[in-house]
Amino acid sequence: MLKTALCGCGSGLRETRCCDSNAAAWPETGSAEILDPMAAEASKLFSEQKTREAETLLLKLLDLAPNHRLALRLLLELRKAANINPATEVLGRRLAALPGTAVQATAANLALAQWLIGQNRHAEAEPAAREALKNSPRDPTAHHVMGAVFSEAGQLRQGEHHYRRALALQAREDGTLLGNLAWNLKLQGKLEESAANYQRALAIRPDNRRAIGGFAQLEAARGNYDHAGKLLDAALEETPADRSLRLLRVLLDLILKRPEAVLERLDDTVELLPPELIARGQACLALDRTADAIAAFAMAKQLQRERFGRQYAPNTFIARAAQYRAFFTANRLAALPKLPAMEPPQPVFLLGFPGCGTSLLEQLMAKIPGFIAGDELMPIAELLSLPAFENYPDCLLDFLIGDGLDRLAALRTQVLETLGTACDASKEHQFITLRAAGDVWHLGLIKMLFPEAPIIHLLRHPLDVAVTNFSREKQLEADCAVSLKALAQHFDLTMSMIRHYRGQLTLRYLPIRYEALVEDPAAALREILEFIGFDAAIPAATELRANGAAAAGRVPNHAVVQQPIHDRGIGRFRIFEAAAPNLFSEIRPILAPWIEALGYAS
Amino acid sequence: MSESSENLAPLKPGQRRVTLSDALAEITAFEQENRLDEADDLASRVLIAAPEQPHVLHMAGIIAYRKGRFGEAIDRMEKSMRLAPEVALYPRNMCEIYRGAGRLDEALQSGRHAVELSPGDSRAHFNLALIHYERLELDAAMAVAEQALALDPEFAEAHFEKAEALLLGGRLREGWESYEWRFKLKQAEGMLPKTGKPQWNGEDLAPGRLLIVADQGFGDCIQFARLIPWATAHAPAATLACSHDLVPILRQIPGISTIINSWDDAKDYDCYIPLSGLPRLASITTENIPDSGGYLQADPEQIESWGKKLNRLAAPNKRRIALVWAGRPSHKNDRKRTLKLSQFSPLFTIPGITLITVQKGDQIAQAGGYFGAAPLLNLGPEIDDFTDTMAILKNVEHLVTIDTSVAHIAGAIGVPTSLVLPYAPDWRWLLNRNDTPWYQSIRLYRQKKPYDWSGVIENVAKDLG
Repeated sequence: MLKTALCGCGSGLRETRCCDSNAAAWPETGSAEILDPMAAEASKLFSEQKTREAETLLLKLLDLAPNHRLALRLLLELRKAANINPATEVLGRRLAALPGTAVQATAANLALAQWLIGQNRHAEAEPAAREALKNSPRDPTAHHVMGAVFSEAGQLRQGEHHYRRALALQAREDGTLLGNLAWNLKLQGKLEESAANYQRALAIRPDNRRAIGGFAQLEAARGNYDHAGKLLDAALEETPADRSLRLLRVLLDLILKRPEAVLERLDDTVELLPPELIARGQACLALDRTADAIAAFAMAKQLQRERFGRQYAPNTFIARAAQYRAFFTANRLAALPKLPAMEPPQPVFLLGFPGCGTSLLEQLMAKIPGFIAGDELMPIAELLSLPAFENYPDCLLDFLIGDGLDRLAALRTQVLETLGTACDASKEHQFITLRAAGDVWHLGLIKMLFPEAPIIHLLRHPLDVAVTNFSREKQLEADCAVSLKALAQHFDLTMSMIRHYRGQLTLRYLPIRYEALVEDPAAALREILEFIGFDAAIPAATELRANGAAAAGRVPNHAVVQQPIHDRGIGRFRIFEAAAPNLFSEIRPILAPWIEALGYAS
Repeated sequence: MSESSENLAPLKPGQRRVTLSDALAEITAFEQENRLDEADDLASRVLIAAPEQPHVLHMAGIIAYRKGRFGEAIDRMEKSMRLAPEVALYPRNMCEIYRGAGRLDEALQSGRHAVELSPGDSRAHFNLALIHYERLELDAAMAVAEQALALDPEFAEAHFEKAEALLLGGRLREGWESYEWRFKLKQAEGMLPKTGKPQWNGEDLAPGRLLIVADQGFGDCIQFARLIPWATAHAPAATLACSHDLVPILRQIPGISTIINSWDDAKDYDCYIPLSGLPRLASITTENIPDSGGYLQADPEQIESWGKKLNRLAAPNKRRIALVWAGRPSHKNDRKRTLKLSQFSPLFTIPGITLITVQKGDQIAQAGGYFGAAPLLNLGPEIDDFTDTMAILKNVEHLVTIDTSVAHIAGAIGVPTSLVLPYAPDWRWLLNRNDTPWYQSIRLYRQKKPYDWSGVIENVAKDLG
């Protein structure tokens, strides 16, 4: 009996010709060619924008031959134009998987990767981008897409490599590509080089608003606030409706302490998007309108959840925590090989839940001779992405066998070379600070690779941590910043992981309190240097407090928010609680044990 | 449950009908086989059906106690005593439960009541003797133990209890005699070789004819190892049987020719002696304990290696205070002696120190939740054996510890140590003194009240600060 049910993906095809079809039963490519004239007719209709007629014909054609390339591509374009995402993805993947020439495979995979990037699904785009590149190693677009995938995944060096390959392969300079390279370089802290590329990009395409926005952020990072403002103002004059540029303008206003200007630009009579609401809330905070600020932040989070479908997704991390707790025990780790102490430069890991002050600490440490900021470089995560670590952490047991120690040493060398290159480390650099959020999960591997690397853990009152993340627009691990409760739950999860590792490993671990850091930065730095056993000059207290001096060497990405040190963040939760007494009623029970354990109860 | 047939509800699939006595027998069997989850589950179900049945309440209380639910245990057992005040078994066991919960006044009352109800029950007297020991009423403890022994002269636990009271009171020579009963205790099974050969009486032997057995826990073995030279002066080239863990340190003691880890490796010998039997043979009193200044040495290379490592891992210019807060959970007195790391908080604020934890075992995990002011280096995971511990202790200024083997190691190598003790400590620490004739480098800090550590750690911190 004929099955007529249409496929749930929205392709318009019958289920048995779409997601429930049997690829083995599809016609041979040669046989399907008989339908080419019909496909050509559909293509013609499509070109003439007779989409309904084209669609009808395509559905019939694909009912006969679900693997007809041209028909699939045309239907994909129709579904993409109609924003039917599940169908777009299904058809895109089907097209990419069809056997064909290298050119066909490249085109289909690039289209899929670009669509996924457009959906902000960079990690999922990686396999298609790789496939495209393998089929066409000299295709500049394939390199461009690969560069975007790596850059968005935080693998900046790899991203830069592919952007530069794309540039080299292109017949003429592409402003979009130059802008993307410039953004990558900015993220790497190569600010001067980034600026030069932005200038080239904008010279080719002065209307490249994305590049204008990136350049403005770069200029803010370099302290050129006037130029940043002029870039944004000029662009906004041309396109006043560009909300991205407007948002960057208000963020600049916030840096320049012009909260009234922010409120003026973000008129509350217009429905604001979450980042705009956050900016508005920040402006309200600056004006001591705490209740308005909380309302704006809460609305932003609510919109993120309800309109944009974002939700806390802890399951992967809960499962990971359970798996790592079971694996990384004192007994097991005692049996695994550990490398001997190493020559400099040595990594210094800065741990801390977002909002605890690791950026500030890294900014300050970068001012000490001998230290260089690695920022959010992810050498450990990069290592884990290697095929050898596919079965992590069980694969670590392989290091017990034979040449395990040698292989471990080779991996450490690889990590250090990566770091050294990425940071432009020179001989005078003794330490590279690293503050990748994901490192908290991998202290066991870090212990094996860098058994005596200092680990500085930034602690802060958990309610202040919650408030800080509640009041800013930053996507965090497991999307936990979408609500206060999710923040508290993820804080609990990651702190429990640190507690586990500290209980099972001999770590060179020093907790530093955010409160102490902002009250007396010089004393905190002295404590760290004393702990590390490194003798170096600490800048004068006033200089530290001003936090204005450029770091010697690589500029961390977070330099964009570098500002004089203040203690307004200490106990801020009390101000929030005074304005909204029930704000923490749901998260206090989750955080109370940590408030007690961290010594903040009294 | 047993009910009159006309009221019986129909059984659901998988259900069966049992009598109360069968259910009780099953609960008791589970409890005795240490199948506590099953015992607990069954007891809870029977309690629903028979909430006022005294023996069910009693058994359910014992199981709750063994599962660590002290409050629930006491509630159930107190109820059983109210429902059946004439049953002597209930206050007899209740007194142990109260003791475990640290409620010694109520324990004493229950113990006495059990003896009143059943004056011919030697175990009731014995339980009461335990309470007197816990209350440091040593004369009473010995007197009640004697009553138990009058009823049952072969009652090994009562002999042992009497020995502990004598030893704790400093009457060592008398105590050693009763202490010999320890090998008749159930938990002593397997500690001595299964042989028809006699126990050594201290007479001179030809070389190689004595087997010395490291019979007790690690701490005892380290403590009594100082007497091996005395033994080998009478019986040269003795063989020492000990666990693998003790070999690296006991092989330092002169006079031993061979060390074995298995009874099968014991060659021909004329007689044997447990290490813990040496003090009796050597007529040890508090006045003639040898080598209280130390008799073991850490390996110089290990000391240097750990010293370098500590210099890298801990801030170099801080005082290093080593710490042990928990003992082996299976130790019979572990609840009395073990603390939580957080209870050492008075140490955490001493300026200029680094805490070096040399804790081993599961309790090491507590180091992960430490966020005190003083830096803490959790060294436990990298300690392989006692030689590591000795070398680490040689690189610290001071050790703070509970009553565990590390205290003996520190004492045996002369490391300054603060040892915190429960109100009724193990007999070796004697009473009413803050030093010990066994180890010159150890200072004792005693609880002022049973199960109450308040003030104890504060005093340690004060002396260290």
